[in-house]
Amino acid sequence: MDLWLTIVLVLLTGGLIFWPRHGVLPRWREARRLADRVRREDALKHILKREANGQAPSVEGIAGLLQLKPNAVAALIAQMERGGLVTYLGGHLRLTPTGRELALHIVRTHRLWESYLADQTGIAEVDWHREADRQEHLLTTQETEALAARLGHPTRDPHGDEIPTRTEDLRASSGSSLNAATPGEAMRIEHIEDEPSTVYSQLVAAGLRAGMKLVVIEKDAQRIRFWADGNAHVLAPSLAHNIEVVPQPDLKADEVYAERFLSQLKPGERARVLGLSPACRGAERRRLLDLGFVPGSELEVEMVSPGGDPTAYRVRGSVIALRRDQANLIRIAPEEAAA
Amino acid sequence: MAMSLNPASPREPAQIESLMRTAQRLRQQLDVDVHELAVEAIYAEAARIAGRSVSRPDRAARPTFDRTVDRLVTSRLWGFPLMIALFAVMLWLTISGSNLPSSLLSALLVEQLHPWLRDGATALGFPWWLRGVLVDGMYLATAWVVSVMLPPMAIFFPLFTLLEDFGYLPRVAFNLDNLFRRAGAHGKQAMSMMMGFGCNAAGVVATRIIDSPRERLLAILTNNFALCNGRWPTQFLIATLFVGSLVPAHLAGLISAAAVTGVALLGVLLTFAVSWVLTRTALQGEVSTFSLELPPYRPPRFWQTLYTSLIDRTLFVLWRAVVFALPAGAVIWLLANIPVGSLSLAEQAVQWLNPVGFLLGLNGVILLAYIIAIPANEIVIPTVLMLTVLVTGSTGMGQGAGVMFELENPGEVKSLLAAGGWTTLTGINLMLFSLLHNPCSTTIYTIYKETSSARWTAVAALLPLALGVAVTFSVATIWRWWD
Repeated sequence: MDLWLTIVLVLLTGGLIFWPRHGVLPRWREARRLADRVRREDALKHILKREANGQAPSVEGIAGLLQLKPNAVAALIAQMERGGLVTYLGGHLRLTPTGRELALHIVRTHRLWESYLADQTGIAEVDWHREADRQEHLLTTQETEALAARLGHPTRDPHGDEIPTRTEDLRASSGSSLNAATPGEAMRIEHIEDEPSTVYSQLVAAGLRAGMKLVVIEKDAQRIRFWADGNAHVLAPSLAHNIEVVPQPDLKADEVYAERFLSQLKPGERARVLGLSPACRGAERRRLLDLGFVPGSELEVEMVSPGGDPTAYRVRGSVIALRRDQANLIRIAPEEAAA
Repeated sequence: MAMSLNPASPREPAQIESLMRTAQRLRQQLDVDVHELAVEAIYAEAARIAGRSVSRPDRAARPTFDRTVDRLVTSRLWGFPLMIALFAVMLWLTISGSNLPSSLLSALLVEQLHPWLRDGATALGFPWWLRGVLVDGMYLATAWVVSVMLPPMAIFFPLFTLLEDFGYLPRVAFNLDNLFRRAGAHGKQAMSMMMGFGCNAAGVVATRIIDSPRERLLAILTNNFALCNGRWPTQFLIATLFVGSLVPAHLAGLISAAAVTGVALLGVLLTFAVSWVLTRTALQGEVSTFSLELPPYRPPRFWQTLYTSLIDRTLFVLWRAVVFALPAGAVIWLLANIPVGSLSLAEQAVQWLNPVGFLLGLNGVILLAYIIAIPANEIVIPTVLMLTVLVTGSTGMGQGAGVMFELENPGEVKSLLAAGGWTTLTGINLMLFSLLHNPCSTTIYTIYKETSSARWTAVAALLPLALGVAVTFSVATIWRWWD
């Protein structure tokens, strides 16, 4: 009797450990294989971005990114060399064509997935990057292409980064840090870096998005003050460093100061819609367009809720209530209170 | 906007290649998404064509009547008092208006038809247990549910639909949105919550007006905190018996009404509190898109409204309730009549539940009543009375074990309950527990249908129950420590 019990127990334990695909051992192996792959692909991505910006990738940089000891990184690079992904000839770490293709696929998947999260789901903005970081290692090339087709082949991700095509190389980012911007010159936010996430969530909370126009008012060693989106913003240089801007020679600083948004409209005033802010994307943007907030529509404040928010606007013959956050996304040109 | 590129002449692939590359380059130069540019252009063009070819009669864009009403119902001073007053009137009409039809229906279905069916079954030679299950159990429970549920629903739902049709409800959402925004929820949840005051199952269906899944789930999970009309009668009866009796007679009505209002407001408060907590834990996020159309006021189409609300809401909810009441009736009768040892199953269960009931400031009878009344909150009070008679062995009341009844005279009810060991604490905790316990099976089933997730259905059922246990336990502990 005891013998039988032992046999059954041994069989059960064995099954639990060695069962194909669902046993503890195969699962552990699979998890390790995935972790390996994630490390490899993250290193490739790092090298690609450094190369695109004309910087030399280094072992230390990879070690810092992956939080590995230099020895482990060396082993990882050796493994990637064997796999034909990188070369380390002459002390320079370079991507091979195969490695470049894989790295481009990862970056492309990451940015497409962020666009998908931004446009078609209700997932909070600060979580996009983390989700995309996981998903970029899981999609195959075909799946990424299907995703791109479903999103209508977008060219830029929600942070303003270019989504690389399958064949073309990643281009150097054209923006420079907000800290380097000349005061009094009109700029456009080209990119907002989403790492580290604590910094990013502060920038998101301040309402800053890629595509917005801004003018630096003044700056010193402690802070930088600038005008964007109808408001004055103050940031510490360490935060401002994560914002990349490009100068807009055609745009005058006064035009940026004159930008006004629907939330600033007072009861009794009239205005015309100029356009929707770049921060307004996906379902929200389509909804606002559906409701008639299209360039040229005339607006008027109809009434304000007892709590002060939301406010109801009359647009194209109907009365629509919007919260302040949403009204902040609609750029307007005030009109004389005529008729 | 599918851009299909069909190579017209495959003989010149080099040209196509260069064309594609030019298109790609031009596209990269655009600031915004080309799709959104196209959509905006289409809208602008549509507006231009409409503006050129549609002429409007020369009148104000918005009638002055609408403006005046809107100024009033959304004003800082009058907005909230008006809203509360309108809702109070609606509840008062429902409760007082349904008394007469309820007693008529009860006289017909319970007092007339029930003995007649009982005699019929005896005449046909049914064995006593079959007659008991079918007539005293299934039929009577269903008759109770119909006579107690139908009249209030037939009044509340049409009134609600009339307000909806008139265009007032979006204004309520407009007024309350600020509170819901702070709780991380959507203003339209105000509408499903108000619907929940009539019936939680209907309230859960009403959350369909909320587009985003996260906010809709919040509205579904918190709908049970709106006291439904199956629970109002319990609130009124217990408040009159146990709270009203604490003060002099001329104040009794006022104080018991205040107690019921307090419980209902506690439910509203919990709606906000639970939404707030869920938004920061399991259902994180902000309201994704908020836009609320405030339609122009219209004279309600009275007959059409009456017809559709009766068919769509009243009969729909009633049908589901009946489907669940039939088996529940059989269970109640069987519990009271199947003996285990010297006691019936119901008495065994009550004894077993008594210690738990004591901790919560309730008793075993109430807990058992809430378990077997899962199909419909309406049968809680009749079940409590029936079980109390069974347990205390009071004679001269009711019609036998497992047969529901209700007493005409509140004094009689009070003395029966006092014999069952009820105190003021029991009364107050029953009111709290009636607000905070699992939704009825009709609502649970509806939640499952709407979310198609067993996990969220379980959360929706267990969350209020856990809150109820926590609240009644704390109240009981503090009460006893105080004494």
